[in-house]
Amino acid sequence: MAAGFKTAEPLEYHRSFLKENCRPDGRELGEFRTTTLNIGSISTADGSALVKIGNTTVICGIKGELTSPPADAPNSGYIVPNVDLPPLCSSKFRPGPPGEQAQAASQFMADVIESSEVLLKEDLCIEKAKLCWVLYCDIMCLDYDGNLLDACVIALVAALKNAQLPEVSINKDTDLAEVNTDKKRHLNVAKHPVSSSFAVFDDSIVIVDPTAEEETLSTAMMTVVTDENETLCMLHKPGGTSLSSEKLQDCISRAVTRNREVGKLINTVTQSVETDK
Amino acid sequence: MSDCLKEKVGEVLLPGDIFSFENTSEKVICGPGLRRNGDEVLVCKSGILRHKHPNMYWVDSQQKRYVPVKGESVIGIVTAKSGDVFKVDVGGSELASLSYLAFEGATKRNRPNVQVGDLVYGQFLIANKDMEPELVCIDSCGRANGMGVFGAGGLLIKVSLGLVRRLLAQQSALVKELEQVFPFEMVVGLNGRVWVKAQSMQRVQVLASLLESCENMTPQQRHALFRRAANGAS
Amino acid sequence: MRSRLATTMEVDGLSAFSLREFGCEQNLLSRPDGSSSFVQGDTSVLAGVYGPAEVKISKEIYDRATMEVVIQPKVGLPGVKERAREQCVRETCEAALLSTLHPRSSLSLVLQVVHDDGSLLSCCLNAACMALMDAGLPMGCLFCGVTCAIDPEGHIVTDPTAQQEKDSRAVMTFAIDSAQHRVMMSSTKGSFSVNELQQCIAVSQRASEKIFQFYRESVRRRYSKTV
Repeated sequence: MAAGFKTAEPLEYHRSFLKENCRPDGRELGEFRTTTLNIGSISTADGSALVKIGNTTVICGIKGELTSPPADAPNSGYIVPNVDLPPLCSSKFRPGPPGEQAQAASQFMADVIESSEVLLKEDLCIEKAKLCWVLYCDIMCLDYDGNLLDACVIALVAALKNAQLPEVSINKDTDLAEVNTDKKRHLNVAKHPVSSSFAVFDDSIVIVDPTAEEETLSTAMMTVVTDENETLCMLHKPGGTSLSSEKLQDCISRAVTRNREVGKLINTVTQSVETDK
Repeated sequence: MSDCLKEKVGEVLLPGDIFSFENTSEKVICGPGLRRNGDEVLVCKSGILRHKHPNMYWVDSQQKRYVPVKGESVIGIVTAKSGDVFKVDVGGSELASLSYLAFEGATKRNRPNVQVGDLVYGQFLIANKDMEPELVCIDSCGRANGMGVFGAGGLLIKVSLGLVRRLLAQQSALVKELEQVFPFEMVVGLNGRVWVKAQSMQRVQVLASLLESCENMTPQQRHALFRRAANGAS
Repeated sequence: MRSRLATTMEVDGLSAFSLREFGCEQNLLSRPDGSSSFVQGDTSVLAGVYGPAEVKISKEIYDRATMEVVIQPKVGLPGVKERAREQCVRETCEAALLSTLHPRSSLSLVLQVVHDDGSLLSCCLNAACMALMDAGLPMGCLFCGVTCAIDPEGHIVTDPTAQQEKDSRAVMTFAIDSAQHRVMMSSTKGSFSVNELQQCIAVSQRASEKIFQFYRESVRRRYSKTV
C-alpha cells in the first residue's frame, strides 16, 4: 500500500512525513545521513579519498604534475577540479560530454577552492615564472543519491590533506627539474571548508542533506560552505523559491555545527592513517 | 475590491501585482493576464488594465506568441495530411488538428479539397493546456459562416497580437483609415496573422508595410503616413 | 521605449547604496517572442525569449514547460562558467514563471553578453526578467539581480564595476523577488562573515525596490503609446 502511494503521489508521500517532522528514511529534518570517510584508497594517485554520505559515494583522486606558472601570476600554481557524473552513478546521467549538473558542480568546486583559500596557490610554485605544480583533482561520483556537493567538498579536502608531493628542485647548471621521490611532504592545507546542502519543500520547510528523490521534489536547493573560523565561503542558491533571512540564518547555524562534525571526522581519519604507518 | 481594480483601469500593471478582496462579495470576472488566487487577484502579465461593464477585467498586453483559446478564430497553414485529420500550424506551441469532416457540406464520400500549404480560417473547438488544440471550419449549425480554405492571390503577414485585436475592434479607427488609402480585402486571425488582397501586388505590399509599421505610432504619425501612401498610390 | 535610472541613496545612514545608470529597452528584436536589452553602467546584456514553442520529445515535461537558458559570452564559446550562470538564471526564471500553464512546451531564453564591466550575473537576471515580461509569459512575481562587493575596508559597494569587483574581498549576487523581497538566488565569491552577508542582503533588498520601480517606469514607457 505504502509503496503504491509513494509511486503515485511522491510529493504527498513526502509531505505526510514532513508534517510529522521526520522523513521517509527515519531521519529528522536537520539530520545528516551517516558520513564515512576512507583516505588513501587509490595507491597510484598522490592523494585520494572516498566519501559516503548515506548511499551517495564520491571518490576523489589528486595527481600533481609539473608545469610552468601562468603568465599573469608567475608565483602561483594551478588547482584544477573536475567533477564527473558517469552513467554508472544514476540513470539520470547519459554517456557523452559532461551535462549541466556536472559542469555546474565543477565550477562550484573551483569557486570553493578559490573563495575558501583551502590551499594557497602560491605554495604550489617551485621557482618563480619557471616551474610550479598543477594539481588535478578528479572527483567521480560512484553512486548518486543526492547531496553531491557536500560529498565532493569533503572528498576534496580529505584528499588534499592526504596528498604528498615529492620535493622538486631546479638544477642550476642544467636548468632542469630534479625530482626527489624519496622526500615527500604534505600540502599545507590552510582552511577546512565544509559544505552543507539544504532542500526547501513547499516554500517553507527546510531539510538538510536531501536524497536524490527529495532533491527532485523540492522547490529549491541551497548549499552553504563555511570554514572552521565560522566564516562563510559560499552561499550557493541557484534559484528556486525564495527564502527569508531568518531561515537563511538557521541554515548557516546548522552549517557551522556540521563543519565541526566533519572537521572532527577528517582529523580522526587522517590521524588513524598516520598512526598505522 | 472592484474599486481598487477600477482605480487602476487604464494603468500599466506588472506581473506580481496583487489586489486583495476586502469584505466584498462582489463578483469579478478575470480575463487574460489576471488570476484568482484564493482571496486575491494576481496579475501575471505586464500590460494595461482594461475594464468592461459591469465587472470584467483583463490585462491588455503586447505579445507576439499565440496561445490557442477556445472559440477564437485564427488563420492556419495546413502542414500535413494524416489519415482523417489535417495538421494545421496556427503559431502556437503545438500543431492543431482539423478533421476533414469539419467543413461545410463535407461527408465521408464528399471530401473537401484541402492541400498541404493551403490557408484555412477556422475557430478552436478544443483549446486547453493539456490537449492538442482542434480547429473546425463550421459553426455549431454546420454552416461555413466565412470559414474554410481561402487565400488565392493575396499575401499573409505576421503582426503582433495587440495590433490584431485593434484591427478587429468594433469601430476600429485603424481599419477606417486604411480603407481610405485604397480598397482591399482583409482576413484577420487572432493568432497574429493577417491576409490582405488588393487590386495589384504593389498595393498589397504597400498595405503590408503600412500594417507592419503602424503598430508603434501615435495617431498623428499614422495619419501622415497613410496620407503619403494614399497620394503615392493614386 | 528606452528608459534610464541613476540613483545614489543613503539608507539609515548606515550603508549607502548607489546603482550605476540603468537603461532598458523592450521589444527591440523582431524575431523573438520577447526581447530586451539591459544596461547597467557599461555592462550590457541582450536577451531574447522564444516560447511557448514546440518541445523535443526527449525534453518534454508532462506537467510544466521546459525552460532552457543559453548565455553567449562576448568572445569565444560558452564554457563551464557560463554553464554555472545559466543554471542560476534558469532556476530563478523557473521559480518566477507559472510554467504549469504551458505544459509540454519549451521556453528558451538566450542571453548575449554585449559588454562586461562587472555585475554581469545581475544584469543577466534583469535582462531575463524584462524579456520574459515582454514575451507575455505568465509570471507569479518579478525578480531582479543585485550584486554587492565588499571592499578590503569592509564597505559594501552595490552594482560594482569590473575593477571594483577585482579589488574587493567578496562579491555576492542575489536575485530578489518582487512579492516578499526575499532571496531567490544567491551566488557568492570570496569569504565573508555572517553579519556581512545579512547586511548585503538588506542592502540588496532596498536596492531591489529601486530596480522594480525602474521596471515599472520602463514598461509604462513601452505602453505609453497605446494608452
